[in-house]
Amino acid sequence: MKIAVPSTEANLDGMVENKLGIAAHVLVIETDDMSFEVLNGPSGSSRPGAGVQTISLVMDMGIQVILVGFISPDIAKVLARQGIEIVPQISGSVAKAVTSYMDSRSSNSKLKNDELPSRESTSKDQWIAAMKKSLRQFQSILPLLVGVILLLGLFQGFVSKQTLLSFFSGSAVLDSFWGACMGSVLTGNPVNSYVIGKNLLNIGVGLSGVTAMMLTWVSIGLIQLPVESKALGIRFALVRNITGFIVAIIMSVVVVWFAGGRI
Amino acid sequence: MSSERDSSGFRALARPWLFPLGVAGMYGLGIGLAPESTYRALQMSGSMFWQLALPICLALIMMVVLNRFLSPAVVTLFLGRNAGLKGIFLSSLAGILSMGPVYAWYPLLKNLRDKGATDFHLANFIGNRSVKPVLLPVLIVYWGWYFTSLFVLVSLAGALIAACIVSLFCSHSQHPKNDRM
Repeated sequence: MKIAVPSTEANLDGMVENKLGIAAHVLVIETDDMSFEVLNGPSGSSRPGAGVQTISLVMDMGIQVILVGFISPDIAKVLARQGIEIVPQISGSVAKAVTSYMDSRSSNSKLKNDELPSRESTSKDQWIAAMKKSLRQFQSILPLLVGVILLLGLFQGFVSKQTLLSFFSGSAVLDSFWGACMGSVLTGNPVNSYVIGKNLLNIGVGLSGVTAMMLTWVSIGLIQLPVESKALGIRFALVRNITGFIVAIIMSVVVVWFAGGRI
Repeated sequence: MSSERDSSGFRALARPWLFPLGVAGMYGLGIGLAPESTYRALQMSGSMFWQLALPICLALIMMVVLNRFLSPAVVTLFLGRNAGLKGIFLSSLAGILSMGPVYAWYPLLKNLRDKGATDFHLANFIGNRSVKPVLLPVLIVYWGWYFTSLFVLVSLAGALIAACIVSLFCSHSQHPKNDRM
């Protein structure tokens, strides 16, 4: 179903505009997947006929419902004759307005259809569709996931922990850097990082290096980067990992500052 | 004509598997050059696949439930740009409670993003994975109360700082599913 909502912003977080004729944007939302198209509204000009012009635009797009703050009763009557439902007195965010409308609609249809046998099969179909969609989403990431795990195994099989340890020099910042590097390439249960960290501390690696390794162990993944890029985009993956890496170094120095003498 | 279509279909299916096949080839090379290290690497990979089984199943079940019940509008409401403190709390809690390797959770995070979750909340989720309540007793036994408290605090703060920076640099790429706009 397509719903038109006048909005202050060109996204679902915008607020529902009071009138169609003054809206900066009109969102035409497909409720099946909440994808939307944005039409430029009259943008505050509120010239006569601006609202009607917007309505004719959204009607061309096959909308069935309009959620709005206020609409002239005469226009509402005309639209109702065209089979378009007008829901006035709507405020708040666009996303919330659409959700509330869909919820009230589904509870109404539930009341009407409670005794119909077809409802059960619809629910079953929805579960099957949800399962198929999930498997498709997982399948798209599976090959990279397998490759990355094989690569991680290769790294851990060929690069010994002693080799990694040889990088620690005793300087807080440098040790943090190498600790963060170590945590970024190693992976596994966080418990391992606690145990390895304690052992590293016992053999003389600085607290900053150990803390940086523990902070990055779970949240930063250099070798997993291709999988993260595939799922969430290269920009997100790069920015998140680089930022997390730098923040871990800073935070490990903070830990040394507060706990240096007590560990 | 039909065989052409078949071969291009096969190529499309095979392309994503080139990377894992390439890595498998490196194992093959390793067996010839350094069998002991390769055997150790195989054991490591096997144990990682085994560790991944439970979190993957958990993530898949959650994805099915999310796909069945959660509309993008609801996700936008709780993890969207205007979710406020509620969004920070929810994404932090979800990150803290998520178990297993991070790559098991990527399909779920992708799903949430497609439904309207922001990069801020996704980054906050991943950042908070350093804090694991069930492992706190181990952390306390090994490191003591003082370090544990500090570690948890800096993890939470660090996740939030990193999420803010990610949000700052990636905000333009929100809602990829809605590119039509």
